[in-house]
Amino acid sequence: MTRVLPLEDALLRMQRDLKRALAKDPRQIRWGMVIDLSRCIGCHACTLGCVAENKLPPGVVYRVVVEEEMGHYPMVRWRFVPRPCLHCQNPPCTKVCPVHATYSDEQGVVRVDYNKCIGCRYCLVACPYAARTSDFGERYTNDTPELPGKLFGRRAAFAGYEQRLSAEYGRRWPDRNGGSPFGNARKCHFCLHRLKVGMLPACVTSCIGRATIFGDRTDPESLIFEALGSPRLFRLKEELGTQPAVYYLK
Amino acid sequence: MNDNRYYKILVGLAVAGLIIGTWGVANVILYGKRATALGSYVPWGLWVAVYLFFLGLTAGAFLITILTYVFRVKIFAPIGPLSAFTVLVAITCEVIIISFDLGHFSRVWRFVVNPGWTSMIFWMGVFTNAMIIIYALELYFLLRRNLVEGAQREGTPARWLYRLLSFGKTEFTEADHVADHRRVRLLSIISLPVGLIFYGINGAIFAILLNRPIWNGALTPLLFIVTALLSGGALTTFLTYIFKIDDALVHYLGHVIRFLLVVFLFLEALQFFVGYKTGMVINRASLDIIAFGPYWWVFWVVHILLGSAVPLYLLSFRHESAHAVAAACFLIIITFIAVRLNFVIPDQAVYKLEGLEATFYHWRLRTDQYFPNLNEWLVSLWVFSLGLLAFMLGSRYLPIVSAGKGEAHHVEA
Repeated sequence: MTRVLPLEDALLRMQRDLKRALAKDPRQIRWGMVIDLSRCIGCHACTLGCVAENKLPPGVVYRVVVEEEMGHYPMVRWRFVPRPCLHCQNPPCTKVCPVHATYSDEQGVVRVDYNKCIGCRYCLVACPYAARTSDFGERYTNDTPELPGKLFGRRAAFAGYEQRLSAEYGRRWPDRNGGSPFGNARKCHFCLHRLKVGMLPACVTSCIGRATIFGDRTDPESLIFEALGSPRLFRLKEELGTQPAVYYLK
Repeated sequence: MNDNRYYKILVGLAVAGLIIGTWGVANVILYGKRATALGSYVPWGLWVAVYLFFLGLTAGAFLITILTYVFRVKIFAPIGPLSAFTVLVAITCEVIIISFDLGHFSRVWRFVVNPGWTSMIFWMGVFTNAMIIIYALELYFLLRRNLVEGAQREGTPARWLYRLLSFGKTEFTEADHVADHRRVRLLSIISLPVGLIFYGINGAIFAILLNRPIWNGALTPLLFIVTALLSGGALTTFLTYIFKIDDALVHYLGHVIRFLLVVFLFLEALQFFVGYKTGMVINRASLDIIAFGPYWWVFWVVHILLGSAVPLYLLSFRHESAHAVAAACFLIIITFIAVRLNFVIPDQAVYKLEGLEATFYHWRLRTDQYFPNLNEWLVSLWVFSLGLLAFMLGSRYLPIVSAGKGEAHHVEA
């Protein structure tokens, strides 16, 4: 009996890959991502999926889709390059943190410890991919009408979206009244909180072109392992020597 | 400065600046970084530029104390205490303004608990503290004789302060004085490597960053050392003139400043030459922002004309006049914020990933929309005013000018 459906959705296979990875010794996992640019249709669903999953405030974004116009008329085409944090294996951002608030964990994920971060923004300046943003404390509901009748006049939309907790790094955020992640550097964390409970990252499940492949790079049976063998493989700004764990297929 | 009228005017200005600036300070305390115009692609703005400005001003004392107590250049001895006091005020302002820039100042203790050994900002913190300790001790030993004597003398203004700082000492012998000068010399010798590393590290914060065309390079730490000596030296020269310490000294310092200005301009020209000659789009784009961007006048008018050409003319052709030298130094100091802004902002004002500007619209995710807002200017004004007030009160109530008299004799000892 074959283990793969003839027309199986890549998500199902990645889900199986994830289950297998989570059964391993965690120290042997190396998470990675391959983004197939030929499959990305530029719908920005991953950006929005990420924003919704992590309850990101205005001005904070973890995964953007860069649009590139290529060629000359009449041979013109668009290319869409989703850019999450690239989780470099030689990350310039972790080395510059003065308090070790950002670091690479044993599975190769570059994380931010929100309660350690002093908000100096050196990591933002150091990232050559502009993959980090700072949470300046903006809210979508700033200057919106207030609901009457409550003690401090809570805003309607605030109750609907901004008061909901985010589960980043497996903890409850916010902590929003002046504490983290306000004032912190923020970035993609491969949805570690979802991985922990056997769910794929939000950008992977929301990708309608199935352009984003995620999994344990060291598992030879996984879809990502296959993708990493493609001759179309490349990494952004490879010449900088940052060795990103996020790869692209031309 | 002995003129009571000028003293009152400057103290009045400082108090007014503090009162006005409090609005910005309150906003930043209440709303955090939301009260600023900073963004994620231009995360360092006016406050970092002001920080670098104060950093430069601290170098004046470094220059003077090294020349006086390490190389025994006697002529600078009378301004030793004044320059050491200036460095303490400037470095305090530097620490305050950068504290405002932190997203979580309350976590600054983590520098001690979770030291990031590989971070230049961590080492900046270490060497800033080292400089504060060195110059606080140096100033103390330079002033101690006057403090002890003043504490014993009837009618000394703020005598309680003199008593407090004398730590119970009632007599000060010549042997004490010699011992204190030995300590000052030792501290100055220590400050030579510490100071060079301190200014170099501040340059290295920027120099080590990848994909930063203006910052990244071995020239940056050297440029920081030269710019610090130039702006700090100009401040010391200006204060020497204002406090009417010695006009001959002003002339002498004028030659040093002229030399530093020429070296600085040469290094800056090199930066432009190399940047343009690489032909890389990102390098040219950053340099174009400085020279031909929307704030081109900051570079050409404020920095090149007022901050460089006019001072160079005065220092070269009017150097006989102490007044002209002081005017040249004053121009260098007040226009130096333009140099710092042109160092900090343009490098960040170029997208590091082509097409990034069109991906996700929010004004904090733009590179071309940063201009310091009112809160940022007010906080800067508040810190400048605090520094001015501290300097005025210190110069009035501490013997920082009188302690310099007769210093030359002890430098030889």
